[in-house]
Amino acid sequence: MDALTAVRDGLTAAMVGDGGPQEAADRLCAACVELLLVDGAAISLALGGAGNGTFGSSGDLSRRVEELQFTYGEGPCLDAVRTGAPVHAPDLTEASEVRWPAFSRAAGDAGVGAIFALPVAIAARWVGALDLVREERGPLTAVSWKGGLFAAELAAHPVLELLQADELGDDAPADPAAGADGHWPRLAGLGRVEVYQATGMVMAALDISEEAALVRLRAHAFAHGMTASEVAWEIVERRLRLDADGDGRAPDGRTSR
Amino acid sequence: MSEREHEITRAFVRIASSLATGADVVDMLSGLTTDCARLLDIESAGLLLADRRGVLHVLAASSESTRDVELYQLQDEQGPCVDCFRGGSPVSVPDLREEKDRWPLFVTKSLSAGIASVHAVPLRLRESVLGTLGLFGARPGVLNADDASLGQALADVASVALVQDKAVADQAAVTEQLQGALRSRVVIEQAKGVLAQVGDLEMDQAFNALRRYARDLNLRLSDVARSVVDRSLPAQVVLDHARARGSR
Repeated sequence: MDALTAVRDGLTAAMVGDGGPQEAADRLCAACVELLLVDGAAISLALGGAGNGTFGSSGDLSRRVEELQFTYGEGPCLDAVRTGAPVHAPDLTEASEVRWPAFSRAAGDAGVGAIFALPVAIAARWVGALDLVREERGPLTAVSWKGGLFAAELAAHPVLELLQADELGDDAPADPAAGADGHWPRLAGLGRVEVYQATGMVMAALDISEEAALVRLRAHAFAHGMTASEVAWEIVERRLRLDADGDGRAPDGRTSR
Repeated sequence: MSEREHEITRAFVRIASSLATGADVVDMLSGLTTDCARLLDIESAGLLLADRRGVLHVLAASSESTRDVELYQLQDEQGPCVDCFRGGSPVSVPDLREEKDRWPLFVTKSLSAGIASVHAVPLRLRESVLGTLGLFGARPGVLNADDASLGQALADVASVALVQDKAVADQAAVTEQLQGALRSRVVIEQAKGVLAQVGDLEMDQAFNALRRYARDLNLRLSDVARSVVDRSLPAQVVLDHARARGSR
């Protein structure tokens, strides 16, 4: 098995475990530190307004770095979310590194030499970033870089779980499909044509955001023991309308709970 | 020149001029799959692109109905396109009925969609395979050699168009470009959903309305899709335009 495959398998395996999305995000960050050879990893969210903050982290160093970015309003993760492109900062102390003057100085004081920010997307929307932090300056190896990109994709799943937990209420049980072996990367078929189309339909019907529509769709799936894809088909073929309460309603007005 | 030769020429010219003007990649490749479906002895064509993890996704299809796009999408897990992608060589399946054991789900869905044969060609770029062009036939039988060659030629041009002739030595830049194309496809699917909901349309009608608006206003298809999804462009405006132009 080559090094990259081993890293990817390790990152995927790290997602499995007890607890909810927060715990999974923390485990992913810890795995990044171990497998990608960095000193800290954190997932930041930039959903706007109160939806900004650090979601998962491997420890104090990465949490500090995230706080600095939000304090100064500048930094690699914010750029990554805004542009949707990964941001390399292999040497924060270099004179030619002028992108985030206040942040770089503060991060340098905290012992950080290099940062790499990888944007995290839910469907087509950038919602946050996975920040990899290292004390030693220098670029990431190719394997670490590719592993980091993969980790950023995995990071989307607990973010979506988090949004669903908000929607259903704090004491809602975690999705039983989540965390089971190998299910994280597929996550009950989120990346399907019918799911994207159904999301668009629900967004338009209820005048809500893309994340909120996805959450409703998944909530309905969970409540009825269906996959997201199955619910999406019901919606696309006009056999199901999700109403504002997240309940399903068949076109003839019968409610399904 | 025969009419067919004219049409073939037009298909290549369309791609070439899109390259020159930097047109929307998804839009251009949708046109390519439509041209394939018309020029070759096939029922439909679908173009699949691999993401950075090597998972295939639909980037363009000659039919925009959900069932047809889903059939192409099914091929991220099993089917001749996956085999073609992994092997880097064309895969010919003259009779799907004989492959039920090989790809049970794909064959079942294909047959019920009226598809009997498949010819898959790789999207090649130097040593890499970026994805596949799947050519679906309504009848069993091998795709004739001329059509197979033409299909491969169109796929090769599509590969160049996808990478847009940037320094291919920069693998990271190529990967970013391909990921960007896949992301814009997601937004287009969502926009289809928005338009279908507001206008009570089928998905292919929604796609036609989207494309019509983009072309008539000289906008990029992906940009219009993004504006529809984030609501900065009201769906009704797009629908009214399409209705006025009679493209329902």
